[in-house]
Amino acid sequence: MLIAEHLQKVFGNVYAVRDVSFDIAPGSTFGLLGPNGAGKTTIMRMILGIFTPDGGRISWNDRPIDARMRRIFGYLPEERGLYGKMKVRDQIAYFGRLHGLVEPEITRRTSRWIERLGLAEYAARTCAELSKGNQQKVQIACAAVHEPQLLVLDEPFSGLDPVNADTLNATLDELKRGGTTLVLSSHEMWQMEHLCDRFCIITGGENRASGTLAQMRAAWPTRVIRVAPPSAALRAILDAVPGARPVAGENGCLDYEVAAGTPLPQILRSLVAADAVTRFEAIEPSLHDIYIHTIGEPKP
Amino acid sequence: MNEIVTVYSAEMMRRLRSRAFILGLAIGALAIGVMIQFPNFMQSIYTNHTNRIVLAGDPALLPRAKALLEKDFKVVATSSSAATPTANDLKAHRASAYFILAATPSGLKVTAYARDPGDVSASQLRRLLLPLSIESAARISAHRAESIVRIPVRIHPISSKFASAQQSNAARGIAYILLLLLYLLIIINSQIIMSSVAEEKTSRIAELLIASVSPAALLAGKIAASISLALIQLGVWVAVAAFAGGHGSVAASGSGLGTSSPALSLAGVSASELASFLVFFLLGSLQMSTLFASFGSLINRTEDLGSLSGPLIMPVLVAFFIALSALAVPRSMLVVVASFVPLLSPFVMFARIVVSTVPLWQVAIAIAINLIAIWGIAVLGGRVYRVGMLLYGRPPSLKQVWRAMRA
Repeated sequence: MLIAEHLQKVFGNVYAVRDVSFDIAPGSTFGLLGPNGAGKTTIMRMILGIFTPDGGRISWNDRPIDARMRRIFGYLPEERGLYGKMKVRDQIAYFGRLHGLVEPEITRRTSRWIERLGLAEYAARTCAELSKGNQQKVQIACAAVHEPQLLVLDEPFSGLDPVNADTLNATLDELKRGGTTLVLSSHEMWQMEHLCDRFCIITGGENRASGTLAQMRAAWPTRVIRVAPPSAALRAILDAVPGARPVAGENGCLDYEVAAGTPLPQILRSLVAADAVTRFEAIEPSLHDIYIHTIGEPKP
Repeated sequence: MNEIVTVYSAEMMRRLRSRAFILGLAIGALAIGVMIQFPNFMQSIYTNHTNRIVLAGDPALLPRAKALLEKDFKVVATSSSAATPTANDLKAHRASAYFILAATPSGLKVTAYARDPGDVSASQLRRLLLPLSIESAARISAHRAESIVRIPVRIHPISSKFASAQQSNAARGIAYILLLLLYLLIIINSQIIMSSVAEEKTSRIAELLIASVSPAALLAGKIAASISLALIQLGVWVAVAAFAGGHGSVAASGSGLGTSSPALSLAGVSASELASFLVFFLLGSLQMSTLFASFGSLINRTEDLGSLSGPLIMPVLVAFFIALSALAVPRSMLVVVASFVPLLSPFVMFARIVVSTVPLWQVAIAIAINLIAIWGIAVLGGRVYRVGMLLYGRPPSLKQVWRAMRA
């Protein structure tokens, strides 16, 4: 279990992270969301012990983060690179060795990651010869070759084509099934929604929202209901719902935003009584909606 | 410790396979070979072009003059004619000069005709022919004339560590070569480690490394590899120097026109000199490598390497020039003080040790000061390195660097 309590990091006069707390259960996937410059990378660096927090504390399985944790943590930074003249296999093996692996385990795991990420045909080539996508796969292998207990990935999908993004998705799913705790940051909301169990939305170095998607949805103040056909009778019923307002929706449907506590069965009954309803759907807010709404909210 | 060994091994493999290291090693070896053989080569050219003479004039003087002149010259022909030679006469014998000898009541008279007057030294001719001139003027035997000219001179060292001027000159020659080696090794390897750090920074692998291994272990592994590579270079270069020195290095006694050249050979390096060389090489390398590596971490573009390394080379250059002056005046105040100043000390103290007798306590203090300096540079440099490796964007200001060092 990773526990971060009241984390704070200051660079000069700038607060990069201010009073951020969260916990990550073993084997779960945690999504750090936020705009550029929100403080996500700083939080990740504090988790990994690269930065020491100026305030608060952070622990892994009740032990403070120290240099030894590097052996059981893995990291794919946003600013990533490789030794251009080193061969793919040597590069992955080197990072395995840096994390304390010894032969024959290094060779076994290196081969496994090369195969897992579809890099077999490039294994003997230097990294400089690889495409950007394949280089990124090598970087992922370097970060995970030692099969860390906690793997932190900063924007792992950036620069990947859809096929490679699917490969990475599958790899992360596999790691998750294997019990690896994952911490991810990405601007690809649908991927984060698919991969993560819990989220923390950061902006300006502050924690604006956190929890599971269900918890964040529960805290969401409105819902959207989608009704078809867009007849005048149905529109009149919806217009009469207290606090309801029409929002842009799909063609051929009426989309209305209503307050979260609005009794939907009662609305449905009224609609059915008024006209022949072909579609009635209560649309939960997506992670994207929650994110946009949260970072746009004024500071509490 | 394992992390340091892993970084060290990887760094060694990368550098040993790199074109820069192989080329540097080869070019350095070539330069050293050339440097050692250069005086020999120049001497042979000089000898071939200026050493061949024709001796002419009074036939009674010629055999004795020939014997005396052959100490420095090759007499290719003799002639009893006292006529002025032409250019063709010189060309026919492939000679550079034509000496016509005549006996006068006051001694010997020499008239020299040379293709280039600069090839003939009047004082050299006077020195070589002095016994014959005395013999001729005083009408005494050759043996008597020789004994008059050969004035017994004995030089007794009082405070110098050398028994003779020849030894002293040879030591200065050796010290010069070793200082040059020290300078080259420290500069080349400091630059290499700086490039290596800058490469990791600019290729953006730095953060992945820092997350895998502590910055201190990363820096220590790189510095250890840099010093090991320098020792490999040193071994190869010394082997080349020994080989080149053993194949026709210039003899200390001198040759040709009588000028004395130092023996450019490492054969005369004593075990204690070699030990001090290694100690001061390690002390200097540790200081400079750490300094260069930590400042290398501030580089965001490889183009900035030159501008950042320039100011860092300055102390090494200053140290090198003070050390060169130490070869001539090892007891001057500037030299003595500089031999205790970190960064300068490895060069200057080493030069002092080779050419003079330095009290052991001074050597011990210099080593202690250097060790403290290494510790200080490692602590401050390590902080700069740790922060610098993660700083991207604009080059950090001095204020940021200072803040990093105090963090």
